[in-house]
Amino acid sequence: MKNNTWIKKSLLLGLVFFLAIFLVKPVGVSTQFSMLSGLVHSKIDSQIIQEDSQREGIYTSTNAYYAKSKGKLIKSMQEPLNYSFVFVLAIPLGAYLAHYRRRQEMDSLNSQLKPAATTGQLFRSGFIGGFIILYGSRMAGGCTSGHMMSGIMQGSVSGLIFAAAVFATAIPTAFLMKRIYRGGTE
Amino acid sequence: MNILLAVFLGGLFGYALYTVGAAKRSNIRSMLRLENLELMKIILFAIGFASSLLALTTWMGLFELKHLSIKEMHAGVLLGGLIFGVGFGALGGCPGTVLAALPYTNKIKTLAMIFGGLFGAWAFSLSYGWWQEQGLFAAWNLGKLTLFQLSEAYPAVFVWGPEGLLFLGALLMLTAWLIPKQFI
Repeated sequence: MKNNTWIKKSLLLGLVFFLAIFLVKPVGVSTQFSMLSGLVHSKIDSQIIQEDSQREGIYTSTNAYYAKSKGKLIKSMQEPLNYSFVFVLAIPLGAYLAHYRRRQEMDSLNSQLKPAATTGQLFRSGFIGGFIILYGSRMAGGCTSGHMMSGIMQGSVSGLIFAAAVFATAIPTAFLMKRIYRGGTE
Repeated sequence: MNILLAVFLGGLFGYALYTVGAAKRSNIRSMLRLENLELMKIILFAIGFASSLLALTTWMGLFELKHLSIKEMHAGVLLGGLIFGVGFGALGGCPGTVLAALPYTNKIKTLAMIFGGLFGAWAFSLSYGWWQEQGLFAAWNLGKLTLFQLSEAYPAVFVWGPEGLLFLGALLMLTAWLIPKQFI
């Protein structure tokens, strides 16, 4: 029989996408980066968020992004332990569970992946990359999870356009990075 | 109840991302360089499978349509996608997979990506007003457009409903099946 483990993995991943939308709402991650950074921002600069003088219980901000969609993001900042944020916090927990189930196999793999770069280099490249990734996904209104997976699954036009745009730059960049670093930085 | 579901579903998502190999950045990079397309097959098939289940349950009337969430289409989706692709191609991670990558040994880079991501998202919040003035979100704005008519809340390109989505799902699964594991 042919090796079809990829199908089993697909079914698991597909089932998670489906269960999320069936029970609550589609999978999404990147909004929570805006929420958490906005929460820290509002703790440092308490003037940034204020109650709307016209409408009681509605909060607004001098920042146009926080005030967008009737202050939806502000509402999440005020109740950070909401479904969407806890969902994102739980992702590493699930990943650790999978990791410990396959630890031996992974340990032997990981030992071959010792980074060749210094801590400073690793931090710098990770930080810059993470910055670009989240800046782009917030501009697009979603990331690989929200736009590409959840979006295309629902037949959303924006999800398809996002996917096309991502691959248009990601493929050449991946080739270019291999040329520069001969296989990447890790 | 909602919080328990969040822990369960978020945990399951992280478990799945790790298990399928999407959390490993070198896997994503070799997928993007078309060297190993197994991950591409897995993700495409998974989307198609989820689409089919969504279509079937909608057809049977079991799916609560208010759970649908279609994102708006505007020029920012295109520009943001192009920017996102640069970071995604360079590092091989995205906001979800980076969180599922924490168990791997290269934690400094993973944490740096999360930290950089928080600053990137914050920088976007600060620059949102400027982009809005430039008309980025008004340009090419098609609203929350979807291909098929699943709910009256969203405008659709085609007249078909769940049957169209089922067709899309089948097409994605077939494409995934046909893609070779190794391309070059």
